[in-house]
Amino acid sequence: MRLPAPFGLLAGSFVFAFLLNLLPWSGVALQISPDFVLLILLYWAVQEPRSVGQGLGFILGLVMDVADSALLGQHALIYVVAIFLVQLLRVRVLQLNLPAQALHIGAILILAQAIGVSLNLSLGREIPGTWMAIAPVVGALLWPVISLVLALPRLRNRSARTIG
Amino acid sequence: MSAYQENFFSRGPSALARLTFFSLVAIAIMIADHRFQALAFVRLGVSVVLTPIEQLLMLPGKLVQRASLHFADQNRLVAENTALKAQVLELSAGHQQAQLIRAERKYFESLGDANKRLGDRGLVAEIIRDARNPFVRKVILDKGSSHGLRPGLAVIDGNGVIGQLTAVGVLTSEVTLSTEKDQSIPVMGLRNGLRAIAVGSGRDGTIDIPFIPVGADIQAGDALVTSGIDGTYPAGLSVATVMNVDRNPAFQFAKVSAKPVAGTDQQRFVKVLTHEELKDYPRPDVKPDDGKPVRERVVPKRREIR
Repeated sequence: MRLPAPFGLLAGSFVFAFLLNLLPWSGVALQISPDFVLLILLYWAVQEPRSVGQGLGFILGLVMDVADSALLGQHALIYVVAIFLVQLLRVRVLQLNLPAQALHIGAILILAQAIGVSLNLSLGREIPGTWMAIAPVVGALLWPVISLVLALPRLRNRSARTIG
Repeated sequence: MSAYQENFFSRGPSALARLTFFSLVAIAIMIADHRFQALAFVRLGVSVVLTPIEQLLMLPGKLVQRASLHFADQNRLVAENTALKAQVLELSAGHQQAQLIRAERKYFESLGDANKRLGDRGLVAEIIRDARNPFVRKVILDKGSSHGLRPGLAVIDGNGVIGQLTAVGVLTSEVTLSTEKDQSIPVMGLRNGLRAIAVGSGRDGTIDIPFIPVGADIQAGDALVTSGIDGTYPAGLSVATVMNVDRNPAFQFAKVSAKPVAGTDQQRFVKVLTHEELKDYPRPDVKPDDGKPVRERVVPKRREIR
């Protein structure tokens, strides 16, 4: 039986991802940097579907909108749709190994990116650059890293409890 | 559609229902924000919390910058110093002329009570960072409503207009650059006083000048300055230089593109012009309700034309 993730780890990972997003990215780095908050949201939506769902994604999306001076509600919509998709694929994703999981996450990230781009295009804005196409790939490549890092503390907890 | 049901005993609405609900709310928020600018207070509230965190994150970069400044090489500093001295000379010549003009203007203003469009008061602010959104052309300044800023103020650098304050937090504020899509500034040609509107193109480093008739007297190299007729930008600030005029007789208007004179890429410090709002801005005292609907008065009927 898998133990639920400790609250500290959950909150801490979100705070860390949020800080990464708040770094003063600019230029090409801004275009290719993945949305760390979205990645963490997807990870916990797969691992802890009871505590992390679309509601949390919605709220964090609004906060990201203000931080990024984007249209209010844009990130919220993207996060909610992405989390819905990962909820749809959850059972399947959990049975796969990490590279195969990353492929699934990559597809979701591409769709999230597409929603963002088409929203901005509908506002009459121009696509800032082709580098944006790389961001979902970078995000997918980070998925195994995130999974391993966030699984480590829980593994240690579990073995400690089974021994004790 | 049963794949996303995580167990038998899950309570609450289904994932699909949640998706529908949250998407609709998000879309409603987007419309409220875009169409009615109704959610400024949400932005203000969240930005109050975010600002200290952001400042903290900027700290390492600032330290590195300061350290590199400390070890800056002699040659660069000397060159910069000479350039600055030359610029001071040039500016002081211009300043003396400006003094004369200002004195004359004061005299004229005392004659008739012309509105005071020349804004010389301002607040120097530092650009903290670009907006972290590749789609928009905005920068964030380190001054906010606690320093007396309010949305709508014009922002300039040493060369000319950079843009306008569009969102003001307590400690920071957001400048929408003049190149942002649909950001418009009323301008006039310095050479002949031709009135026009400079509209941001949404691409870096270009401003469009729409609605210029094909036959209008405008040519590449013309300097465009603010005309001051909007009551937002003081008159006489440099905005852009006309780069290219494409006159195609097939269209009603010429395609004019210009290059902004100010750039945020090089500047770290900008000036926010805190001139007073022109409340008694003169309006033409034409009353539309003289019996007939406006449309009938302006547009002649078709039959009459025939």
